[in-house]
Amino acid sequence: MKGYKKYFGKKALWFFITLVCAVILNFILPRLMPGDPVAAITARIAGGMTSATAAQQIYQEYAEKFGTNQPMIVQFFTYIKNLLRGDLGLSFTQYPRPVSDILKSSVIWTVCLQLPAILTGWIIGNVLGALAAYIRKGFDKVLLPLSLLISGLPAFGLAIILLVVFGVNLKIAPISGGYAQNLIPSFTPTFIKSVIGHYWLPFFSIVIIAIGGQAIGMRSMSIYELNSDYVKYSRFLGIKDRKIVGYVFRNAMLPQITGLALSIGTMIGGALVAEVIFNYPGLGSTILRGITGSDYPMISGSTLIITLMVLAASFIIDIVYGFIDPRVKAAQIE
Amino acid sequence: MGKAILEVRDLTTKYITRFKEDVYAVDHVSFTVDEGRTLGIAGESGCGKSTLALSLMGYYFSPLYYTGGQILVDGRDITNMSPDEVRKNVLGTEVAYIPQAAMNALNPTAKIIRFIEDVIHAHDLKMSKKDIYDLARERFEILNLPSDVLQKHAVELSGGMKQRTVIAISTILSPKVLIADEPSSALDVSSQKLVIKMMYDLMRMGYIKSMIFITHELPLLYNVTDNIMVMYAGQIVESGTAKQMVFDPVHPYSKGLMNSIIVPEEGTRDVKLTAIPGTPPNLKNPPQGCRFAERCKYAQHLCHTSFVTMRRFGEVDPGLLGGEDEGDAVAERNRAYRCIVPIHELKAAYAEEDAARRRDKEAVSYE
Amino acid sequence: MKNTLRQITQSPKFMIGFCLILVLILTTLIYPLFSPGSPLEMIGLGTFFRPGTYVSVYDSVTTDKRYTINLTDAAEKRVASKLASEDKEVMKTWLLEFGIAEEEIDLEDTEALLDLWFNTYDESIRFDNMTTAVRKHVQRTDAKLDGLLEHQDIIVADSAADGSLVEGSLIKGNEYINVAEIANVRVLPLGTDNFGRDMLKEMISALGVSLMIGLIAGAIATFIGLALGLLSGYLGGVVDDIIMFVTNLFTVIPSFVLLILISFSIGQSDRGATTVAIVIGLTSWVWTTRSVRAQVTSLRNRDHVNLSKLSGHSLIRILVTDILPYIASYVIMAFILQICSGILAEAQLSMLGLGPKTTSVPTLGLMMFWAMAYTAHLNGAWWAYFPLVILIACISFSLNLMNTGLDQVFNPQLRD
Repeated sequence: MKGYKKYFGKKALWFFITLVCAVILNFILPRLMPGDPVAAITARIAGGMTSATAAQQIYQEYAEKFGTNQPMIVQFFTYIKNLLRGDLGLSFTQYPRPVSDILKSSVIWTVCLQLPAILTGWIIGNVLGALAAYIRKGFDKVLLPLSLLISGLPAFGLAIILLVVFGVNLKIAPISGGYAQNLIPSFTPTFIKSVIGHYWLPFFSIVIIAIGGQAIGMRSMSIYELNSDYVKYSRFLGIKDRKIVGYVFRNAMLPQITGLALSIGTMIGGALVAEVIFNYPGLGSTILRGITGSDYPMISGSTLIITLMVLAASFIIDIVYGFIDPRVKAAQIE
Repeated sequence: MGKAILEVRDLTTKYITRFKEDVYAVDHVSFTVDEGRTLGIAGESGCGKSTLALSLMGYYFSPLYYTGGQILVDGRDITNMSPDEVRKNVLGTEVAYIPQAAMNALNPTAKIIRFIEDVIHAHDLKMSKKDIYDLARERFEILNLPSDVLQKHAVELSGGMKQRTVIAISTILSPKVLIADEPSSALDVSSQKLVIKMMYDLMRMGYIKSMIFITHELPLLYNVTDNIMVMYAGQIVESGTAKQMVFDPVHPYSKGLMNSIIVPEEGTRDVKLTAIPGTPPNLKNPPQGCRFAERCKYAQHLCHTSFVTMRRFGEVDPGLLGGEDEGDAVAERNRAYRCIVPIHELKAAYAEEDAARRRDKEAVSYE
Repeated sequence: MKNTLRQITQSPKFMIGFCLILVLILTTLIYPLFSPGSPLEMIGLGTFFRPGTYVSVYDSVTTDKRYTINLTDAAEKRVASKLASEDKEVMKTWLLEFGIAEEEIDLEDTEALLDLWFNTYDESIRFDNMTTAVRKHVQRTDAKLDGLLEHQDIIVADSAADGSLVEGSLIKGNEYINVAEIANVRVLPLGTDNFGRDMLKEMISALGVSLMIGLIAGAIATFIGLALGLLSGYLGGVVDDIIMFVTNLFTVIPSFVLLILISFSIGQSDRGATTVAIVIGLTSWVWTTRSVRAQVTSLRNRDHVNLSKLSGHSLIRILVTDILPYIASYVIMAFILQICSGILAEAQLSMLGLGPKTTSVPTLGLMMFWAMAYTAHLNGAWWAYFPLVILIACISFSLNLMNTGLDQVFNPQLRD
């Protein structure tokens, strides 16, 4: 048990350090860039105004709000203080709605879409990859190039193809949004039915991409494991092939779990763009709106939330991994 | 002399490469191991000795294929059994195997006891978990392993412990033949001795009936085995008792192999070591005649062209038989080798060379 | 080395991928020679022209050389192309009302529909439940059909000196001209995009730019990853700790998030294709660092490296001559993957509106962005997005294929 404790302690500390660094990066990156963000922001708002003094006034107002007229370190502490209170500033495009309020609604959509989708894709991909490694021959000959093709397809590309085929041509799925536009979010059967109807296209576009990537990784892992000494030894002890495949699957799966923790950040990027294609009311669309509207607080808030979600996901995966792989415990004792 | 536990007749197996070429890594191999005896198989890397070990299990899977011959374990031919029958009734129970790399032979993520349970259940033996645990603990004790190892994962064990755990698991079903492929190459000398002593203990206690050691370390074989076979390019080139093979090899390859290593015995220390020039032939197209002819300095014209069979020592040149007592004489008659150069020519040449090499060594040490 | 090269060229996976990429590169280099002019030139006034051959109407009419060809189905074809689907629907409504079974009415087969129509339609029949508007529509449609089927010639009028119109030339219904003899014909194999640009030309140009972005991003990422991985793996100790700390940090912080933040901060006007490529390169070195470090760590204590160390060779020399050759295969594979992910990253970034500024060069991502912004996918303008998706998939498939091929050469276990 001591080994596990040490492992959790290390992971928790690491998670905290990463969190702090992520927050600092989120704060500092936009401020490091050449040019004045406030000027860029106000330029857009003041664009319609003819009077220079009015524009100047707006500039002053925002500069004060952002605190850009104060030293960097003071800005940072104000930022942290606000962050701890859950205050991410006010949105420009949906003024005066607070960003945290907008994000709250979109985070739910993103989590409910991406979490099940990535997990489903991961599981199916691993099973297929293991099968390809075990069966080889024909199945492998088909699966490997197919996986390469699918995982090479950009997430948005598959999203568009699915959208056009099932939504536009076959008309068996809605083409946009997370629910029918004439409905107001509520826990009524009609609304839930509409949500499910809108769910499966974006869901599958993320699942299929995830399957491709995972299957390739699992195939290589399983082939390595199948060639390992313990497989040969187990065979010569008369253990049934089915049982040995069980060993191999488990052992090849374990690194895939850490792999998931490491690649979840990359996957989310593609999945967010898929959200944009379906105009899904999640974070992807929120970011797009923020970008097109130069809504700085909204972008900053969204990226922070995404980072937090990815960090939390990889932390949870790491912890789960510690429980199921004895090698982790052994490594801590050494 | 005990009864024959393992009898191998003309066993031939091949690898099929990814370019669909046949490589006969074990080519018409025959030998016998008697109860309570140990056999050593020696040869350079790639000579087919590890493949022979795998072939003896009677359990073949890609890319290794059985092509002919018989393997009789305790009088029962295992080559005409179905693979599943072999798996259930031979592997582990009749013939057991200790792999070359014992370090990685255990599933890293399973507890040792779970693995032992899997081994026992694979043979449809009705044993309760408690019985299995007791059996395992008993065997572990013989091998000097604490019983809490059973509850550990392979990654938590040290190298020496893993080695002994593998031996314990391999012998848990009391196999008749134990095949150890380079059992000690990864261990230091004292652990080597310990491991081999433990295997002997197991044999003395009757848990295993005979052993086959496969190694390139001849000194090891000399000390622990009764008989030695030398393999070259998939064939056996000479077999005899350990003593005969080390001090009086007949086949030029055996002689070369002995000359290239140090046997820790009086009289061999003061000779210069020599390497055998050249490399073994490509088994995709083995040479038509003697396979060693290319590298053999005694090779005659006939060696390159005519097929050479295994011949008994006594049948070829009875006049040369030596030995003080009757046992030695029997052993001498049973020696076999694969060479067509007359024995007296070879022996004369060897004697001359040995003397020359001793002189060389002296010359070197005076400098 | 020679042997490895031979093995690589014998790997079918690698060669297929390599040839595909080569074809793509050659296309971007050669196509502009045949089709000069700026790819961003807006030749079409309007959005999403269908793929096809566009013939100047003016030149068609004024072409002197005319051929008379009698085609029996010319009239039907003319009707079929002019009859809108709503007209057909109206015809169907009337026919159903008249009592024709629905399965007998085939809207696709114009000839049969016309036969049916002229055999049954009677203007005098009035259905009670048909509104006046619909009845009028039916009448108009019938009149239109008559008009279309009548073999009327078209008179092209010229204005005379006094301002009155005089008959210039007469175009008969069965007159044809040869396309080769018309002055202005433009083939748009993939139609135009929403700005009226030649899709094919723009796409090939964008392909070149995207490959460039991938190459720059890949080179930067590989260089940084290689340098950090070498130092971290070879030196170990504190340097290793620091580098690995940063690497692990950027592994968990999604690079996509960094990309968004940096690109947004740079601002639309300063984001050229090269800038975007550099930003992508700067945020995607993490994986290369990790794998290079792992390789170097296992090489660090090899005999030849120790020998070199004892001989007093400099750090750079040891890294370059004793370590780099052993990890070269991994670095090449990592580089190929980085190119691929660089191209995808640009596309994703552009889809969010953070791609290179739109006025200077096209990229695959930008074209995709505009196609989506003008909802090409909902308007059936498949040519504006589908070739792009296929092209991106093709690039990434062939690069991945090359990589798998190399992987199988360097790791024999993975071979089939």
